[in-house]
Amino acid sequence: MASLVPCPHCGARPKEEFTVKGAAQVRPAPDTDKKSWVDYVYLRENPRGRYEEFWHHTSGCRRWLVVIRDTATHEIESSCDAAFAGQTDART
Amino acid sequence: MSDFRPTFRPALGAKTAITSAEVKLSALPEGAIVQVLAPPGEQDVASFLSGLGKGGVRTFSPGQWLIVGDEPMTQEDMKTLFETLEPRATGVDQSAGRARIRIDGKQAGRVLSKGTALDLSADAFPVGRSATTLIGHIAAHITRIDSDSFELIVLRGFAESLWDDLTRMSAEYR
Repeated sequence: MASLVPCPHCGARPKEEFTVKGAAQVRPAPDTDKKSWVDYVYLRENPRGRYEEFWHHTSGCRRWLVVIRDTATHEIESSCDAAFAGQTDART
Repeated sequence: MSDFRPTFRPALGAKTAITSAEVKLSALPEGAIVQVLAPPGEQDVASFLSGLGKGGVRTFSPGQWLIVGDEPMTQEDMKTLFETLEPRATGVDQSAGRARIRIDGKQAGRVLSKGTALDLSADAFPVGRSATTLIGHIAAHITRIDSDSFELIVLRGFAESLWDDLTRMSAEYR
């Protein structure tokens, strides 16, 4: 796993500061059929390559991020705040 | 009313400050620490907070700031401050929840670098910049208050532990 994670608010930080929740999937509508909910709750793709995950910057800004990383090379393609994508740098 | 009376004592009252030529470690006065939370999209909150003149303003996280002061605030003052903040932001009194430690000296940055992955070089972390990070396993808020001085804000219960860690981390420079 990548050891430095780029946080859109804090810059590059070690992975120890983060908590990984898992695949960043879109939550289905509450009244959707049972199959979609079973898929959403239990089934994961586990791809070799690009993967979108929710990461929480627990020991930093405490924001939820969406981190896109490669499960084979450990490279991180990009990261953004889960709530407001493209927010400006908050460090100044 | 309960017979139990809490004993008020400083979080780092039992610790002796470290003073050496290369690194100094001291507990800052337990004054006031106010956490300020603003809703997303609220503009120029930092300058608004600085303008209040209630103490130093530290960036805490997106939409969150800390106001720190050396003097304790009375309940009345705190209430007035919270009312001034509304409706732009909300204040939470953290004065008893967090403790402040100051580390100075030529080697202060090196001492901290043993515990945090934060880039503390003057270019990446200039005076006035703050960051929340881990020092060892303890979450702490670091602010550069001068070229060779840092202020650490840590949860009160972790203050002694962080102090002991810093003592050990600075041992070679004393």
